[in-house]
Amino acid sequence: MTPADALAAAPLLVLVGGACAIVLLDLSSLPGPRLMAGLGAAVALAAGAAAAVLGTGAPGFGGALLRDGGALAFTLVVAVATAMSLALAGGYLAREAVPAGEFVALVLLSAAGGVLMAVGGDLVVIFLGLELLSLPLYVLTALLPRAARGDEGALKYFLLGAATSAVLLYGIALVYAATGHYELAALRGVPPAGSGVPATGLAVRPDPSVLPGGPLILAGLAFIVAGLAFKAALVPFHAWAPDVYESAPTPATAFMAVVAKAGAFGALLRIVASTTGSAIDWQVSLAALAALTLILASFAAVGQRRVKRLLAYSSIAHAGFLTMGSATGIFAGPAVVFYLAIYGALTVGSFGVIALLDNDDPTIGDLAGLWRHRPVLVLALAVFLIGLTGLPPTGGFLAKLYVFEAAIHSQLLWLVVIGVLASVVSAAYYFRVLLACFQPGDASASPHPAPRLGTVVVSVAALAVLAAGVVPGPLLDLAQHATY
Amino acid sequence: MNVSASDLLVVPAVATVASLLPLGRAVRSIGVASGLLVAALSIVLLATPAALAGEQRLVWLAPLGLSYHVGVDGLGGVLLVLSGVLFAVGAAASGDAPHPRGYMALWCALQTAVTGIFIAQDLLLFFVFWEAMLVPLSLLIWLWGGPDRGPATFRFLLYTMTGSAVFLVGIVGLGVAARTFDIVDLASKPISEGAQSLLAALFLAAFVVKLPLFPFHAWLPRAYLAAPIPVAIVLSGIIAKTAVYGIVHLCVGLFPLGILRLAPVLVSLAAVGALYGALLAFRQRDTRRIIAFASLSHLNLIGLGAFSASHLSVEGAAIASVSHGLVVAALFLLAAMLALRTGGFELDRASGLGASAPILAALFTLAVVAAIGVPGTSGFAGEFLILSGSFLAHPAAAIAATATVVVAAAYGLRLLRLAFFGPATTTAFDLRLGERALLVPLLALVLLLGLVPALVTDRISTTDLTPHAQVAR
Repeated sequence: MTPADALAAAPLLVLVGGACAIVLLDLSSLPGPRLMAGLGAAVALAAGAAAAVLGTGAPGFGGALLRDGGALAFTLVVAVATAMSLALAGGYLAREAVPAGEFVALVLLSAAGGVLMAVGGDLVVIFLGLELLSLPLYVLTALLPRAARGDEGALKYFLLGAATSAVLLYGIALVYAATGHYELAALRGVPPAGSGVPATGLAVRPDPSVLPGGPLILAGLAFIVAGLAFKAALVPFHAWAPDVYESAPTPATAFMAVVAKAGAFGALLRIVASTTGSAIDWQVSLAALAALTLILASFAAVGQRRVKRLLAYSSIAHAGFLTMGSATGIFAGPAVVFYLAIYGALTVGSFGVIALLDNDDPTIGDLAGLWRHRPVLVLALAVFLIGLTGLPPTGGFLAKLYVFEAAIHSQLLWLVVIGVLASVVSAAYYFRVLLACFQPGDASASPHPAPRLGTVVVSVAALAVLAAGVVPGPLLDLAQHATY
Repeated sequence: MNVSASDLLVVPAVATVASLLPLGRAVRSIGVASGLLVAALSIVLLATPAALAGEQRLVWLAPLGLSYHVGVDGLGGVLLVLSGVLFAVGAAASGDAPHPRGYMALWCALQTAVTGIFIAQDLLLFFVFWEAMLVPLSLLIWLWGGPDRGPATFRFLLYTMTGSAVFLVGIVGLGVAARTFDIVDLASKPISEGAQSLLAALFLAAFVVKLPLFPFHAWLPRAYLAAPIPVAIVLSGIIAKTAVYGIVHLCVGLFPLGILRLAPVLVSLAAVGALYGALLAFRQRDTRRIIAFASLSHLNLIGLGAFSASHLSVEGAAIASVSHGLVVAALFLLAAMLALRTGGFELDRASGLGASAPILAALFTLAVVAAIGVPGTSGFAGEFLILSGSFLAHPAAAIAATATVVVAAAYGLRLLRLAFFGPATTTAFDLRLGERALLVPLLALVLLLGLVPALVTDRISTTDLTPHAQVAR
């Protein structure tokens, strides 16, 4: 292992090493769930700090692990979202009697998978990342001890997820068959169809029927994108998401709503970037996926009565905005990273507020009276929901604006129109949740006693979202460097 | 003293934070002070001889193309003064709102957003403030409103957000194509006539809903009725004027040819709306509903002036905007005072109150007279300029709109006759000192503006119509 390899793997090593340490520590049965969750959050932050300190540089393991701007940005987003979810989980784990050691270790392992997907420069590494991300998530979904619902959600997730893995693997095999390469860098050399210039891989597999950019590679990449779209919960690959999000322990829901998407979009951006300039034009298919996702998810969310399910559909709708950003070619990296960072804070924050309530799966009506008992939580939730709607002065507005500008640059005006109308529809369901908190009610869901660490975490997240709406400089810098 | 446009923003923003201090009932004096201070600073800026007074320009977010560019032009300055006065009056009238701190914080936040709209010289900055109005406004209606507040808030939110969404598409499309969002820079760029029509239509989506132009007014009666009286005052008095400002400053300023092409449709709708609102006002039996539909009628008349985009008609729209803001505030306050005495807003609860409450009757009469545009009041100056300014280009619409003056006299006099000058079967105590202190300054301004309309028109004529816009005429 060369120094470059070590540097490239450092954040991953911190996450996986931390997960192993947590498992060992769990055997001693000394630390309680709150301490355990705190330690996990510290590990995630350490991984983020390692990535931030090391910065960008030469790739490790012969190009399998990259350290470019995109890799750095996604690693930071995953690390921060993981740390936030874990910091919010302490009280929840104690209350719901979820095995804390397992929970924290699984979350850290899954986060490592998310990072691996975003930094992988090789289709096989991306596949490994996907599996490392997914397998812990299946278990996390079933971790609530008292709910049969959890088993159903987990089984659904697992079966569909296994099928997706097969689809993705098949896609990788087809790409390999067409080009002879797993490395994404090699795909960059694929020339436009019909230009007659042989691809790098053709020297290995001189089969004239398998022209680069031909049907084989197209089918392969389509399968790969379908696999990633499943992880990102894009319509029509979204059917699992509401059930899984609802039945998983709420902190795990917050985690997977952000990290699974981060991994999927990290890999997607890399694959799209590596085929830029070739015959493979992603724009139409990604734009179509985005349009479908935005329309269906927005309208489905309006009809929901349970807050977690509503937020699940909302996160699907936001995946639509991320896909819109991904469809914009050379603008994709910065727009998607900026959106994902803001969306991550908003989503972990809003699921986090629900995780702090006494009721694990509240209906909108159960929130009535919350304002009287826990005004700080309601204020934070208000910031998150206004941000998710995309209204100023929150960062949510700038995030949507960035994606819209990129899309108009790429001649996707029709998609922007769908996007803004989806935002209008989203106002209807977000404001319903927000206004319910102010209704008079007995606040059956409000927590006793007030969670201290959790309140601090959501308050900081809310302030950060507001700050990002006014002075987003540092975040914008990070996004600007997310090029491929 | 060197005043910059940003100071206008700082005052209500500081007031928002200050409102959260534990001051009890005294908190409303913060809102009053903030409103009066903004009005005073705006007058100072209006007196500054510059195209954009107190201008400031900073790069805010270069990658997104956002700049923080603010400055006060003539129409913006006039409306800022109106905004300050109305927010001060509204805050003073908010004495009995429960949870005064939260109420006043939202109130001052709303004032910050409205102020921002009138000083923004960057399209995205304008949009940021435009959208920032929504949250405090809908929370004020929803949390402090009347029985119908839930559906009314939702209808208002969805209508205005749909308009804003289309507006945003127009802004981003224009900004990306022109590589700038700066309104001053954009005004000097040539835009083809076809593009101007499209962009004007996209921008107008937001403004015709907020105004509201007939037939986009379905949210109006419910929102006016559900909102607490002070919120109804700013909703009708100044927030509708943000749309007038948007039409003149952005649509006429940037897309004069586009407005010229769309004008036949727009002025027809405005004329129909003016007449329709007046006829509906005549049929109502609830004072607030009368005021709501009379407002709809007046706002459409103001729209007629703005869409006609001639010098006279825009000046008229400016005076009528200020006049309507002052008059509607006085009318809503008077209606609330009347309801306090009779136990409700229904007209048949009151009859012949002129005998027992002569001052209430006198001030009510003055406000109604100004509303229906009797010469000597500000209402007359505005209507006259709008109608004569739009007559040359759009004679049919102007003639139809003139008929509203007759209907307005009918609904105004009917209101007065039923409540004050019929048989004195009910009695009421007269206005208290505090109530008079709220009304007299408003009505004094109405009379002053009626006698000296040049106070407003002199500010408009030189600055607001860009060279571009004048070429089109």
